[in-house]
Amino acid sequence: MQNPPPPITSARQLDLDLDPLLSVEPAKPWAADLLRDCARAFADKDSANLHRLLWMLNELASPYGDCEQRLAYAFLQALFCRATASGDHCYSTSLAVAERAVSFASARRLALKFQEAAPWSTFGHVAANGALLQALDGEPALHIVDVSDTFCTQWPTLLEALASRADADAPRVRLTVVSSTAAGVVAEIGARIEKFARLMGVPLEFRAIAAPALPRLADALRPEKLELREGEAVAVNCVGALRRAGCGDSRDSFLRAAAALRPRVLTVVEDEADFGAAGEFMESFEECLRFYGSYFEMLEESFPATCNERLALERECFRSLVGLLACEGGADAVVDGERRERGRQWCRRLERCGFETFGISDDVIDDLKALLKRYRPGWSLLPAEGETSGMYLTWKENPVVWACAWKPK
Amino acid sequence: MQFQNLFNFKNAKEDPQMSATEAISKTFSHSCNPPPPPKKKRNLPGTPDPEAEVIALSPRTLLASNRFVCEICGKGFQRDQNLQLHRRGHNLPWKLRQRGSKESRKRVYVCPEPACVHHNPSRALGDLTGIKKHFCRKHGEKRWKCDKCAKKYAVLSDWKAHVKTCGSREYRCDCGTLFSRRDSFITHRAFCDALAEETARVSAAVFNNITSNMDLKPTSFINVNNGDQVIVEQQQVKQRESRGVNTNSAFNNGDLYGSCSNLQQPEGQLSWAGNSTNNHGDIFSLSTTRTVKGENVFAHGSFPSLFSSLEHNPTLGSDTSATALLQKAAQVGASTIPFLGSLFKEELGGETRDFLGVGMHPSFSGWL
Repeated sequence: MQNPPPPITSARQLDLDLDPLLSVEPAKPWAADLLRDCARAFADKDSANLHRLLWMLNELASPYGDCEQRLAYAFLQALFCRATASGDHCYSTSLAVAERAVSFASARRLALKFQEAAPWSTFGHVAANGALLQALDGEPALHIVDVSDTFCTQWPTLLEALASRADADAPRVRLTVVSSTAAGVVAEIGARIEKFARLMGVPLEFRAIAAPALPRLADALRPEKLELREGEAVAVNCVGALRRAGCGDSRDSFLRAAAALRPRVLTVVEDEADFGAAGEFMESFEECLRFYGSYFEMLEESFPATCNERLALERECFRSLVGLLACEGGADAVVDGERRERGRQWCRRLERCGFETFGISDDVIDDLKALLKRYRPGWSLLPAEGETSGMYLTWKENPVVWACAWKPK
Repeated sequence: MQFQNLFNFKNAKEDPQMSATEAISKTFSHSCNPPPPPKKKRNLPGTPDPEAEVIALSPRTLLASNRFVCEICGKGFQRDQNLQLHRRGHNLPWKLRQRGSKESRKRVYVCPEPACVHHNPSRALGDLTGIKKHFCRKHGEKRWKCDKCAKKYAVLSDWKAHVKTCGSREYRCDCGTLFSRRDSFITHRAFCDALAEETARVSAAVFNNITSNMDLKPTSFINVNNGDQVIVEQQQVKQRESRGVNTNSAFNNGDLYGSCSNLQQPEGQLSWAGNSTNNHGDIFSLSTTRTVKGENVFAHGSFPSLFSSLEHNPTLGSDTSATALLQKAAQVGASTIPFLGSLFKEELGGETRDFLGVGMHPSFSGWL
């Protein structure tokens, strides 16, 4: 866009009829169509139209309204950054602010509240823990390498399950967490997990490794860095982690590094979305619309009306969308951590990097079904088919989270 | 001690079937047939009746449910009387089986599974129904599954009992929050502030308790190590490792209080000195775990100054049962250990505690 057009001050100027959209009754979903129009204006480089549409969006969107309005608001941020070419700056600032603001208490509240409201994260935890228990059954010494973004909320239930095994003593467990969360928060998490493990009677050693910068995530998996010991059974747990291992080839190197550890099992949980490379704007846009539309709707239906945790989760989406729609990325920038891939794409990668599927037992499937029963309706389990292995969590028939277990060939 | 004859005449009817298939090892007795006791008395675990007859039934016998079979149509029944009623439908006469003319002898049953703790005649179970349920529960296939929580059971009655209460149970954290879901409760508890405070509270209470009970017997002593690990005399540390883990590494850092926190129970706790009235209630309650594996006891290594007699006792291997160890301790100084009596009561109560502190459960591992 060259010279910015003169500011718009009224709807009449735009020759728009906003009445149907501004009426009070619950309208039919309007955000997706409006957003698509915006995207097309970008693609066509139609600055006048774009300007007009962004103004409209600004009028209708709100971070405190219904999910249509919130979705519109989230995309507005991203599209505005794109229009003003301020995406990279906006993303890194937002990330820095978030990292500074996080505290143990806030992280805990957010993670636990979300787990209460929806199975989005607990689905992956139950699936991964099931696979871990299956693969590590009978081993007296375990070393779990956790590369995840859920603040260790996966581990209490695993520790309890290890402690409750009726036919064996609890094994000795080493938990090495590779995390980019602030060191203070991770230390507090570690202290509490250790205390809890003592309560369970499970000998636990907790250790945190600061995650290296994005494309070098594979460095964290070097044996000397992890201080592997003789006789311990290694497992690698990646929840929302693979997409943070850079892009393209960096993801492969991460997986190859994981395979080199000869783990008994590699558990993978990822959001089911294909955000591709930065280049194809329209395709990415459409996919963002689908995924985040689903996510925002899910948040609205899972949380109570006014909820700070829901706002916090939506704010994280603002940043993700800025990263996906307004940033150049590439060269393994941090923003590439937003570039999710679908399960079938991950499957191809994993097979390429020396892994084969680790079949999980029917008991784990039953556990997952029982888990979903504990939440509001709308969620279900869908086993993957064909060339794709693993399982999906679906929200209103749409697959949203993919979980799968692997072992080295 | 005089063990009374606990033989249950109802079981006697099933003898003829058994004798065809079992391998019997007998320890003969010459009991004198006392009159049937008014109430069944349980032996102390680990101290079976030396005069009892040890019966080893085969897995097939133990799992068989319909053992009384109609010869006409092959229909199976659990009880002889039901079979007889059925036989009347075929116009056959009653034919009650004979009980056998030998005198009543106490019978105890061992589990056929060699790795099982009840395979050893000294840990035999006194009841036929008991051994059948034990075998099915522990070594049988779990064919019944709870719909809500996916927990599996081998014994149908266990499953039924569970399904009645599943989902209705509530879990309360020390911080006061109530949960209907077990997984949420566990995750919450792990990170709850109440957990962090608990250990601090316990350590303070322990110290108060000890210093205020200085009138112990002369044989007792108090040894304060490193300021943070207070080791008191033998009666105190009869804590059982929850989960039976030798947590040497976890405990060597003087984390006595870590273990205490796991034993702290909201109800029915045992008083440390028998009559302490300190405001934190009772600290060293024992939590027998639902696994009741019994083999592993406590981390010897962490309490160097205690139980000098027990620690260096060569007969105590790692697979000595907990109950045997406790009995030894009882021999050593039962008079000075007031709570050991209640400890045994605990054992015999047949109940196990959930170490999470949510309450009592029946002794089988099926609860939620």
